[in-house]
Amino acid sequence: MHEMSLAMEIARIAEVKLGRAAPQLVTVAVDVGDSAGVEPSSLEFCLEAVFATPPFAGAKPHILRCAGDVLRVAYLEIDDGRPDD
Amino acid sequence: MAVRTIEVRERVMARNNEIAAEVRSRLAEYGVTAINLVSSPGSGKTTLLERTLAVLGEEMGIAIITGDVQTQNDADRLAAYTPRVVNAVVTNGACHLDALQVLTAVDEIDLNRTRLLFIENVGNLVCPASWDLGEKEMIVLFAVTEGEDKPLKYPKMFQNARRVVMTKIDLLPHVPFDMDRAVANALSVNPALEVIHVSALTGQGLDRWFDFLRAAARPVSTSG
Repeated sequence: MHEMSLAMEIARIAEVKLGRAAPQLVTVAVDVGDSAGVEPSSLEFCLEAVFATPPFAGAKPHILRCAGDVLRVAYLEIDDGRPDD
Repeated sequence: MAVRTIEVRERVMARNNEIAAEVRSRLAEYGVTAINLVSSPGSGKTTLLERTLAVLGEEMGIAIITGDVQTQNDADRLAAYTPRVVNAVVTNGACHLDALQVLTAVDEIDLNRTRLLFIENVGNLVCPASWDLGEKEMIVLFAVTEGEDKPLKYPKMFQNARRVVMTKIDLLPHVPFDMDRAVANALSVNPALEVIHVSALTGQGLDRWFDFLRAAARPVSTSG
């Protein structure tokens, strides 16, 4: 049930990190430990909902399951529209 | 399409834990002991607090923060037992209290007149386990009307707690509850748990609960 609170906090972390680039976010990757007290599919569902609303524009969650009680934002992927190097 | 990866590696609970640390240091400054009371809905948190306020409220300068998804019914019930303001946090759907809500509520409490602060969390054995509120310790209530396997079903809560209070023991003759098995289950997930048995209705066991609270809270500091 608390996955929505966690999703909103993850969105806050992403927003602080990205600033005006928030709408360019395409993937949000989250490490979820097997004893973190978090139901991965529920968190994924909540992240999809939260990242569909401004300032984000439909970034997809990517849940990385791991051991332990870790719960952290692993990395963000943004598409800044610039051509590849 | 040029996708760039930004490493973050930031713990999701980091901000809550920072605020909890702020709560903890503010309470320490005033010598206030905070206890986070957690349990399933209906295990008797509010009734135990009513009895505690009636006996120790003045002696120990007890302040209370209640958390509920809706209504401030618990705060209204407890207000009948204390002249002090009972701070009600309505979470509007959230299944737990977080440290920011507690910090905001603590701001409204006269800490100079407080030695013991109870935070009555939202009735829920899952989510509150993940949120540090800045308390000294978490205590979980476990009623004899529940299943003996609650600690096995919800281990994180019983692992985080230092004490378990078995409540409603006056009902033992009337319910098929195996106390030995329930306590063994609790100890199997957390061997360090201390167990206290009470009936808030008859008063049985409350003396031990009160003795624990007196020991847990520091004496009044004259230096303020």
